[in-house]
Amino acid sequence: MVENEVRLLPDDDGSWRIEAYLRRNGYQGARKALTTMSPESVVAEVCKAVIRGRGGAGFPAGVKWGFVPKGAAGPKYLCVNADEGEPGTFKDRLVLLRAPHALLEGMLIAAYAVGLRTAYVYVRAEYAGLAARLDEAIAEARAAGFLGERVFGTGFGLEVVVHLGAGAYICGEETALLESLEGRRGQPRLKPPFPAAVGLFRSPTVINNVETLAAIPQILAHGADWFLGRGLPRDGGTRLFGVSGAVRRPGVYELPVGTPLRTLIEVHAGGPPEGRSIKAVIPGGLSAPVLLPDELDISLDVDSLAKAGSMLGSAGVVVIPDGTPMLDVLHVTARFYAHESCGKCTPCRIGTSWIFKTVERLRRDGGGPADLDHVLRLADGIRGRTLCPFGEGAALPVRALILKFRGELEQAVAR
Amino acid sequence: MSGAKTVGLTIDGRNIQVPEGTNVLRAAEQAGIAIPHFCYHPGLEVEGNCRMCLVEIEGLPKLELSCSTLVREGMVVRTSTECVRQARKDVLGFLLAEHPLDCPICPKAGECRLQEYYELHGRYAGRMIEPRERREKKLPIGRGLLLDRERCVLCTRCVRFLRGYTRTGELGIFERGVRSEVGIFDGQPVDNDYSGNLVDICPVGAITADDFRFKTRAWFLKRRPSVCPHCSRGCAVVVEFVAGYPLRRSEKRVYRITARENAAVNGFWICDLGRDGRHDIDDGRHDRLLKAGAPAAGLSWPKALADVAAVIRSVPGPERTGKIAVVLNARLTCEELALAKGLFVTGLGSGKVFFADRKPGAADGLLLTSDRVPNGRGALEAGLELRPADLDEIATSQVLLVFGSALAGHFEKQEIARAFAAVPSKYLFAAHTGPLDRLTDLVFPVAVPAEKSGTYVNTDGIRQTFDRAVDPCPGVVPEGAIFACLANLLGLNLGDFDAR
Repeated sequence: MVENEVRLLPDDDGSWRIEAYLRRNGYQGARKALTTMSPESVVAEVCKAVIRGRGGAGFPAGVKWGFVPKGAAGPKYLCVNADEGEPGTFKDRLVLLRAPHALLEGMLIAAYAVGLRTAYVYVRAEYAGLAARLDEAIAEARAAGFLGERVFGTGFGLEVVVHLGAGAYICGEETALLESLEGRRGQPRLKPPFPAAVGLFRSPTVINNVETLAAIPQILAHGADWFLGRGLPRDGGTRLFGVSGAVRRPGVYELPVGTPLRTLIEVHAGGPPEGRSIKAVIPGGLSAPVLLPDELDISLDVDSLAKAGSMLGSAGVVVIPDGTPMLDVLHVTARFYAHESCGKCTPCRIGTSWIFKTVERLRRDGGGPADLDHVLRLADGIRGRTLCPFGEGAALPVRALILKFRGELEQAVAR
Repeated sequence: MSGAKTVGLTIDGRNIQVPEGTNVLRAAEQAGIAIPHFCYHPGLEVEGNCRMCLVEIEGLPKLELSCSTLVREGMVVRTSTECVRQARKDVLGFLLAEHPLDCPICPKAGECRLQEYYELHGRYAGRMIEPRERREKKLPIGRGLLLDRERCVLCTRCVRFLRGYTRTGELGIFERGVRSEVGIFDGQPVDNDYSGNLVDICPVGAITADDFRFKTRAWFLKRRPSVCPHCSRGCAVVVEFVAGYPLRRSEKRVYRITARENAAVNGFWICDLGRDGRHDIDDGRHDRLLKAGAPAAGLSWPKALADVAAVIRSVPGPERTGKIAVVLNARLTCEELALAKGLFVTGLGSGKVFFADRKPGAADGLLLTSDRVPNGRGALEAGLELRPADLDEIATSQVLLVFGSALAGHFEKQEIARAFAAVPSKYLFAAHTGPLDRLTDLVFPVAVPAEKSGTYVNTDGIRQTFDRAVDPCPGVVPEGAIFACLANLLGLNLGDFDAR
C-alpha cells in the first residue's frame, strides 16, 4: 500500500459520506484553489504535477485543461468519463463507491481552473446504483455549500448533472461520449476539432476520467512537488491498479506510478494460487497487448508500457494462468471487439467482425499458419486506419496474442 | 476567387494553389488527381467514415483523411505511395468482403464506385471464406425507393442528406458494428420532394429507384446536360437516354433525369418534380399532325404551315390587331420568345398576345419555386407582357394560334370550347396530348425543352444557355422553327435566326 497517509480510496464502503470525507481533510484542495489561487495558477500546478489521464490514453490532465480557449464567449463544459467499460477495469467503480466526494472536489477544481459552470458525469448504465450514490453525494455537497452558487463564499459556482449511458463500450471514447450525452447515437466524431475547442453542444469541453479528477484534490492540498514525488518525474502520483484473474488477492491497489508489474502481482495481489503459474498478463485492460512472464519486470507507467509495445491503459491487470488455451483468449478478445465496434468506419466495422468470424472458424474447423497470417493481415488493415482509437484497441491485442503465442495457436488449430 | 486567400501546397510533386479552406481531396481534384472516396460529398457534412481517401501528409505519423484535412501552406501530400495504396486495398477488401457481388442484377452496375475502385485500386484475390451477413435486399423506404442492405457501405450520405439538406431526417443508422444498417423509423418512410437525390448520391447500388431498376443498364445510356423546365429555378440536370429513338415502339427514350452540379443555381441537387420531368419528354407526346383529333393523312408540315400563313394573310392588315390572337407560354426559350415578338407583335401587329402557363404552386424553400415555368423572366426581358388569356377577346378573333395546352388549366373546358367555336381558324401547337386537341382545326406536334437549344433566365436573373439533350421525336418541330417559317411565308424579316 501507499506508505503515506494520503489515499484516494478509504478502506471501507461506509466512509463515502461527506462527514467522513471532511474528516479525511476533504474539500481542502478545492478551498485552497478557489479562495487563494488564480485559475491559471491552478492549471500550472496541475501541469507541474504531471498527472497522466487515468482513463487509458495517458494524456497529461493539466495540459488538456490548458487547451480550452481562454475568455471565449458562450458556455464551456466539463464531462466526467465514468463509462468504465474496458474489460479488466473496475477502479472507477470503487472511486464512485467509496470516494464520490473526491471526484466532486476534483471536478470543482477543474471547473474553476478552466472557468466553466456546468459539469456532466457520464456513468455507464451498469453503474446505475453508483449513479444514485453520486446523486446523494451531490446533494450533500450542495447542502454543505460546495456545489451550486457561490462555493466557499466566492463568486464561483458549479452545477453537476449525472447522466446514465446505455450500455455501449464505445461511449467511453470521449467524442462518442459527447454524442451520447447530446442524445444521439454513441459514435465517435472526427478529430480535429478536438473537444477542448468544439465539444459538448459545440462548446469547449474538458473530458476527464473519474480517477484522474478524484486525484486532483491531492495535488492542490499537498502541492505538485509532493504529488510528483509519489510517482515518477514524467508520470506523477499514485494510481489505482485493478488486478483480476489468477491471483490470490484480486482487487484494486493504490500504488505509486512506477511500481513494477511483478511487485503488483506477486507482492500485493499475492501471486498465482498454489500450484499455478503465470502464462501471460494483460497490463492495462483488454486493449493492452499481452505481456509474457519474462516481461513483468516493468515499471507501471504510461511511457514504460508504451515502450514495451503495450500500454498502461486503464491499469486493469488481468493475470492469465498456465493451462489457459490462448485460442480461447483470442476468441473472447475478438468477440468483444466485434460486438462493441460501433460500426461507423469501415475497417473497424468489418475488420473486427471478420477477425471474429475467422477465429470462430479456426476454433470450430481448425486451420493452418496461413489462417493466423490472415488474421494478422486483417488486424494490420484496421490499425492506424480507423476513425477513433477503438481500431488500435481491437487490432493490437489480437496481433500480440498471435505473435507471442504463435506456436501454441498453430498447434491448437491443427487438425 | 478574387479576394479569397490562396494556399500553396504540393500533391504528388505538383505545386498547386487553392483557396484557403479547401480540403486536400478537392485540392487534389483540382490538380487532376482523383482520390477515391465513398462517404465524402461536397454538398454534405464531412463524416470521414469510409476511410478510403487516406493519404500521406509529410510530417504526420499516420495516414490522414483527405476529406477532412484542410490545406495548409507548404503541405506536402502523397496520394499514391505504397502505404496509401495498401490502405485503399484494405478498405476495399473490407467493403467487398461483406458485399453481395450481385453486379449482374444491380442497377448501379457500370457507375458503381465499388466496381470502379476495384478496377483502379483493388485487383486482389478474395480472402473471405467466412459467410457474409445476410440482410434485407429490397426494403421499400418510401417514394419508390428500394434499399438493399447487403450492398450498402454505410457511408451515410443518404442519412446526412436528409438531415442536412431537407431536414426531414427519415433515415437513420440502426444496430451496431457489422449489424449496422440504414433504415427508416417505424412507419415513417422517406417522404420529401428531394428523395430522388438519394439514388444519385448513393455511391453503390444500395438505394435504387423502382422506376429505373431492371429497365436498362447504365452503359446503354447517353448523358447530355440540360436545364430543368419545371420551375423558374432552372436547375442543371443531366438527361440520360437511349440514343436512336425509337428502338422499338414500346421503348422509352429517357430513363432518368439526374442532378448536375451548378453552384450558382442548384448546388448538387434537384427536386423530384424535375426528376419526374422525364415523363414530360416521353409520355403523352404528339408525334404527328392531327386534324379534328385524328391523324391528318396526306398533310405535310410545309403544307399545313402554308395554310396557316394563308389564313393569317387573309386578315386585312388594319384588322390584324383584333383579329389575330396568340397564346404563348413561358416554357419557350428567350430566342423563341424574341421571334414570337417579332412575328406577332411587331410583324403582324396583333394586340391579342396572351400567355397561358401551368398554374403556380407552393415554393418549398429549397429549390422549387412557385412559378412552375422556366422562363417568365425571359419573356419579360424579351419585352413581352405576361397577359393572362382572355376568352372573350379570343372569341372575337378570326385566327387563333395556341402554343401549349396550359389554357385548359385556367378555364372550364366548356368555356374554352365556346370561345374557340366562335373563332373561324384555330391552331394548336403542343408537345403533349390534351383537352384542346379536339377544339382546334389542326394540332402541330412541337418539341419539349430537352429537345431544344436555347436560353432560359431563371428566377434570380441567371441566364442559362443549353443545347439540345435528346433528338426530337420524328415529326416534331421546335416552336422557334415554326415562328421562323411563318415569318418567312408571311414575308416578315425577323433578323438572323438559326432555326435548328
